[in-house]
Amino acid sequence: MARRERASSVTRAFRGPRMLRPLQSPQPQQRPQPLQRPEPLLLESLFDSAPESWIALLPRRSPSQHVPQDEIEFVDSALLHRVASIAGSFTSRVSLELPDALLLEVRGSFQLFGGAQSLCLRLLESCRRAGVELRWSLAPTPLAALALARAGCETIVLARDRLAGVLAPLPLKVLAWPAATVARLDAVGVRTLGAALRLPRAGFAQRFGQQALLALDRLTGAAPEPRRMFVTRERFRAQCEPGFELCAQSMVLQYLEPLLADLEEFLRTRQAGIDLLMLRLQHHDRPPTRVDLRLASAELLAKQFRELLALRLSQLELPAPVRRIELRSGPLQALVTCSESIWRPGEHGGAAGRESPALIERLRARLGSAAVYGLCLVPEHRPENAWGVAEPVVGLASAPRSTSSEMSRRPLWLLHEPEALPSALQGLKIVDGPERIETGWWDGREIARDYYIARDEAGAEIWVYRERMPPHAWYLHGIFG
Amino acid sequence: MGQVPPDSPSEPTLERLLEHPAIWRGRSTARTATLGTGCRRLDEALPGGGWPAAGLTEILTARSGLGELRLLIPLLATLGCESPARWAAWISPPFEPYAPALIAAGVPLERQLVVRTADPAWAIEQALDSGGCAIVLAWFVAVATAHTRKAAPLGALRRLQLATQRSHVPAFLFRPLDAAAQSSPAELRLVFEPSLEGGRLQLLKSRGGERRPLEILWREWSAPNRSEPQPGESTRDIHGKT
Repeated sequence: MARRERASSVTRAFRGPRMLRPLQSPQPQQRPQPLQRPEPLLLESLFDSAPESWIALLPRRSPSQHVPQDEIEFVDSALLHRVASIAGSFTSRVSLELPDALLLEVRGSFQLFGGAQSLCLRLLESCRRAGVELRWSLAPTPLAALALARAGCETIVLARDRLAGVLAPLPLKVLAWPAATVARLDAVGVRTLGAALRLPRAGFAQRFGQQALLALDRLTGAAPEPRRMFVTRERFRAQCEPGFELCAQSMVLQYLEPLLADLEEFLRTRQAGIDLLMLRLQHHDRPPTRVDLRLASAELLAKQFRELLALRLSQLELPAPVRRIELRSGPLQALVTCSESIWRPGEHGGAAGRESPALIERLRARLGSAAVYGLCLVPEHRPENAWGVAEPVVGLASAPRSTSSEMSRRPLWLLHEPEALPSALQGLKIVDGPERIETGWWDGREIARDYYIARDEAGAEIWVYRERMPPHAWYLHGIFG
Repeated sequence: MGQVPPDSPSEPTLERLLEHPAIWRGRSTARTATLGTGCRRLDEALPGGGWPAAGLTEILTARSGLGELRLLIPLLATLGCESPARWAAWISPPFEPYAPALIAAGVPLERQLVVRTADPAWAIEQALDSGGCAIVLAWFVAVATAHTRKAAPLGALRRLQLATQRSHVPAFLFRPLDAAAQSSPAELRLVFEPSLEGGRLQLLKSRGGERRPLEILWREWSAPNRSEPQPGESTRDIHGKT
């Protein structure tokens, strides 16, 4: 009973109106210096809460440079992207506000991270660990969060009805409006957001434009603000530049190892795999050596990449010592995982194996990707075009095919190129034919042939044809072997 | 042991022992697991009633394309229908396997895997050990013509024979006729010669198979969808769409 009372009193204290609570770090001793501020972080907790909660993050270029609190600081986009990828582990709704800020919608993540307070602390902690110093704030609208962060108020405002009060004392500068507009507002004595919000709407719109009014509406949440979301990098890219030149493949592999581990981590966080990995080995004054690893199915394990790269590198002769190693991935693919069997196929009475991508990858790593292929049927009447090389696809269910009895007999073997036969056709006995196959005007490879099944002196059945065009030459095209 | 009749106590046990696949007694047929060939007379001629299910089979021909591939088409069609889908690996074939003919013979195209390599032995071993192949067909021209190192083919073949037994996957090697003089660790070796409407098979090495040459005719093969030339329709014009 006593416990319940205590719990309810805590809830009351927490939910109490205008209750300001100092934000406490869970591990104060681990907290490094830069973000310790004179004013405590404040949580404004209220009865009703807005449907959205936006965190604005304003990264700083470097701690050494002193920038006035409310100045807009231009940071390079690489830094923003880095912070965005960190923010990506807290929410999927990250939006860039160029040139200086990042906006995160975190309402949906409160429960997972144990509330707004704890989420903010963890977000700041991971930014700090990545060496990014930033100003931040949380508000129900993106623009308000941005304004608060620019003004240096590191607060958490969850309710929309408290917003106007928090924003009121802020200078107009935080809205990043055109200087002329700010100057004209200043001339009429409007220097804070509160003063601007108190102006009559119609007159405000007439004097300063609909856009300015819309910005104020968006600031307070009266008008929605749709935002374009940031999409994290979909390719892996890493490089390594050892201080000296690498002469042996084994050394290259050794330096590849950390990159591959990074790649695995990158793929694992995205639950994705890649089927294309590009390695570039830069030399001193030669074009780089390129190794493209194509996999039969999406993979993510560093071990597998290393094994295949080792196979490929062993086939490769380095033209010069390697100065720099670059690793890039192809597009990411959703990973489909399945359990492996305990026994190898056939071993200990284990089940028969399945067609596996590992075989194709191993063969291709050594022989090249063009040397390993599947077959497919092409709806074409010209014999040499009626088949095609196909990518061997793992796990493709074999569709029952209805073989048409209409089709005339075709040889099991086709020659790469038709082979010219002596015109006398010595020793050949025509068994069946002719079968006329012609035209192909649409792609310039026109044919006009009469095909015959013949038997040569060794007794093998062969597929020959005679050109219908003047020299009427005979060719061997297939073997019924 | 309770079922053994008292008058012949040791006989059935010995019989049972001798049934073990690793034991092969002189003239008797080896009890190995086999795969049906699709031809009843060939099944009867081969030890165990078919192609060895785990082991190396060598098919020797004067040259490629005499009809030796047809011997295996029914097997390819059967294996193509089995349930965990596995590849049929074609390693360094002499020509291009022609997709329309394979389809017409009932061989599923999506399970065929063609590998072009100058070192078939390595590729065969990879295919066998991967567990992803149901059957491996290989054309061993490179090894047969390696006159420089005579011991190499035998060593390679021995490795392959062990690999097939390890993985329980049949491997078929197509080799030229002059390989008949060399010894081989293969489970089954046979020479194929074409004849009118069929072929002549001579077993060179087998565990208790027929020694007499065997004449087979293509029409007695129960392969699915075997299309014979139709006498009625001699000329067929195929025109492209205009």
